Amino acid sequence: MRKTSPAISFLTICLVCLVFASSCGRQNADVIVAGSTSVQPYAEILAEEYERLYPGNAVDVQGGGSAAGITAVQSGAADIGMSSRALKDGEKSLWSVEIAKDGLAIVVNPQNPVTDLTLEQIRKIYSAEITDWSEAGGTRAKIHIITREEGSGTRSAFEDLVMAGGRISAGAIVQDSNGTVRQLVSSDKNSIGFISLGLVDGTVKAVSLGGVEASAANIENGAYGLSRPFLFVCLGEPEGRARQFIDFVLSGEGQRVLTHEGLIPRAEGAVK
Amino acid sequence: MRRFKEKLSGRIFFVLALSSISALALITVFIVAKGAPIFVKVGVRDFVFGMSWAPGHGEFGIFPMIVGTLSVTLGAAVLGVPLGICCSIFLTEFAPSVLKSVFRPAIQLLAGIPSVVYGFWGLIFVVPFIRDRIGGPGLSILAGSVILAIMILPTVIMISEVSILALPRQYKQNALALGLTHWQTIRSVMLPAAKSGIVAAVILGVGRAVGETMAVIMVLGNAVALPKSILDPVRTLTTNIGIEMGYASGEHQQALFATGIVLFILIMILNSAAQFITRRK
Amino acid sequence: MSPQPKFVIKNLSFYYGGKRAIHDLSLDIAANEILSVIGPANSGVTTLLRALNRLGDLVPGARMEGEILMDGKSVYDPDVSVTELRRKIGMVFEVPTPLPMSIFDNVAYGPRLIGKANGKSVAESVERVLRKAALWDDVKDRLKTPAMSLSGGQQQRLCFARVLALDPEVVLLDRPCSGLDPISTAKIEESLSQLKEQYTIVVAPHNVQQAARISDRVAFMLTGSLIEENRNVEIFSRPKDQRTSDYVTGRFG
Repeated sequence: MRKTSPAISFLTICLVCLVFASSCGRQNADVIVAGSTSVQPYAEILAEEYERLYPGNAVDVQGGGSAAGITAVQSGAADIGMSSRALKDGEKSLWSVEIAKDGLAIVVNPQNPVTDLTLEQIRKIYSAEITDWSEAGGTRAKIHIITREEGSGTRSAFEDLVMAGGRISAGAIVQDSNGTVRQLVSSDKNSIGFISLGLVDGTVKAVSLGGVEASAANIENGAYGLSRPFLFVCLGEPEGRARQFIDFVLSGEGQRVLTHEGLIPRAEGAVK
Repeated sequence: MRRFKEKLSGRIFFVLALSSISALALITVFIVAKGAPIFVKVGVRDFVFGMSWAPGHGEFGIFPMIVGTLSVTLGAAVLGVPLGICCSIFLTEFAPSVLKSVFRPAIQLLAGIPSVVYGFWGLIFVVPFIRDRIGGPGLSILAGSVILAIMILPTVIMISEVSILALPRQYKQNALALGLTHWQTIRSVMLPAAKSGIVAAVILGVGRAVGETMAVIMVLGNAVALPKSILDPVRTLTTNIGIEMGYASGEHQQALFATGIVLFILIMILNSAAQFITRRK
Repeated sequence: MSPQPKFVIKNLSFYYGGKRAIHDLSLDIAANEILSVIGPANSGVTTLLRALNRLGDLVPGARMEGEILMDGKSVYDPDVSVTELRRKIGMVFEVPTPLPMSIFDNVAYGPRLIGKANGKSVAESVERVLRKAALWDDVKDRLKTPAMSLSGGQQQRLCFARVLALDPEVVLLDRPCSGLDPISTAKIEESLSQLKEQYTIVVAPHNVQQAARISDRVAFMLTGSLIEENRNVEIFSRPKDQRTSDYVTGRFG
């Protein structure tokens, strides 16, 4: 038998190492959290804080949208799913807990003179009954409607709260995360979009709803009606490291972090 | 011993070749199996020509996306093909060798840029330009066409160049000896003679444009409505799959696979056309 | 008494980059005669032909010294239009290269391009030159078929006709019959003898026997220099230089 060539030996060794290495990674068992892009930035901050307080416990946060997160939990690809809307009928068998409430902000470009819209106006804009800003109190210009993709929890929440059964116009521009919607609204003078209230910053302007300013206070006292729950979803009762993380999020510390970031703390007794 | 090794290596190559074909077969079978049920449920005609795509309401018509694909690809061809052919003529016939040695690596570099980088550049640069200087939201067929035109340039240029260089030297000499000017030689003798190669280059470039997803998903606006002008946002067959696959399930997912089948057929038609034309030469 | 020569070449040297292909060549080419330029490979025969119609300009790094005068005017004069020159001096190449179009269009191509294109006169010119090239009878019933479908010999005669269609004054032929069958060769040679009354013809034959058959005068070149030039009869029966004699009798080549 000839000597095995050195190249083949080397490759075999690499292969074996890879096999071992791949199993090594999993042993640290990151808690995998996936889903809503609205919840994602908050989950990331929570994860950082969690890892700081309990070193050695890694939490891996991914996006993809509320529907993707729920699918991931159902298939086992993620330990915890994030959702920015209430569970639908087919999903009610999953375990879920509300970790906070978030406001839904309707945003326009800072240069847009419009600062206030009624719910009715927003609905008409999004169903393309109103197509020009001049019909809504602004200057003459065609309105560029921006919406989220169908699997987005934010979009579901918007459709439930604003559209009241009507459809968003097919001509609306579709973007796949809060971040891209915000970026687009900040650069297009004639655009309108909806994003998580907590993500509104200086680059976009949140319109007030029938005179009521969009703020955490107004959500808590009920004056501003557009709000939706942030949920953590699991396949069954969570255990082990996933349970530990969820407990942290629901604890006083976790809630303090979320309030600090602009969310509304969860109502007590919201655990299912 | 040697004969055994010969036969063994022959068999090994055979198996390896089979595995690449089997990968193709697997993908095809998978897509067709997953996607066919929706054709049964909705009907091929209603699926392909249906005007409304609203999976949440159970509506699966992909015609606006077909129009999206065709219009963006056509735009890319209109912008990119003439430019590409002119570049290849410049490279083969007019460029001094100093310029050639700069141009060619630059074009190959262009070919190597990842499509997501193109998309990003388009979002930061092309979209605001269209929005501020031309009109509409900027996210549009036009933006997609511009990005794709640049992406297919290397393909069109390099293959056209090869076709022109492959012409027998005598064509050019004969033409010049007849007293034709350089430009007359190119226009009336060399280009017609290289025609089938150039057409193949165009079809390959267009094929690439049809399949492109990442670059255009960021700049097209992804609206599901039928576009009315090149400044309107639009969705292509590929971006439709790209946006919704992450969360689609049940019928919705089947519909996306069925979109994949339609794409498959489209690209097969394009590839066959390219093969047919090059073989005829 | 002899009329002015068509070409006067004085001290011509031709370089491709650093390499010298023609060395100090002086030669007169008379009008309405067939001159054969013979010599072994790399003698500069092709280079000489291409210097006449300035096709040598196409090679990068090509350079010439000396003079080539046609009808008393330098071919390399700055105010000479190269394309005009190349119409007056037609060239038939070794490898027949019909253009990818029909037989008729191949021949009509030149006249159409220089603007002599109105239907009737084009058709007449095409017939006229096809007859001169001894191809008319072969193709008169299939003028619209692709030129590529012709045989090698016919394609070469087509190229010949194509050149004639431009109404040149001079025709250069670089090994026109290499690779052709004897019948095609004979037809081309016969056309040449008939045509010399109208044109000045310079041929680089692919073998010495062809030179003997068709030429009025013969020039012998060796490694870039002109060794001897004289009437046909003299070169073949009473060559002045030993090398000429060796070459034409086949002792080397």
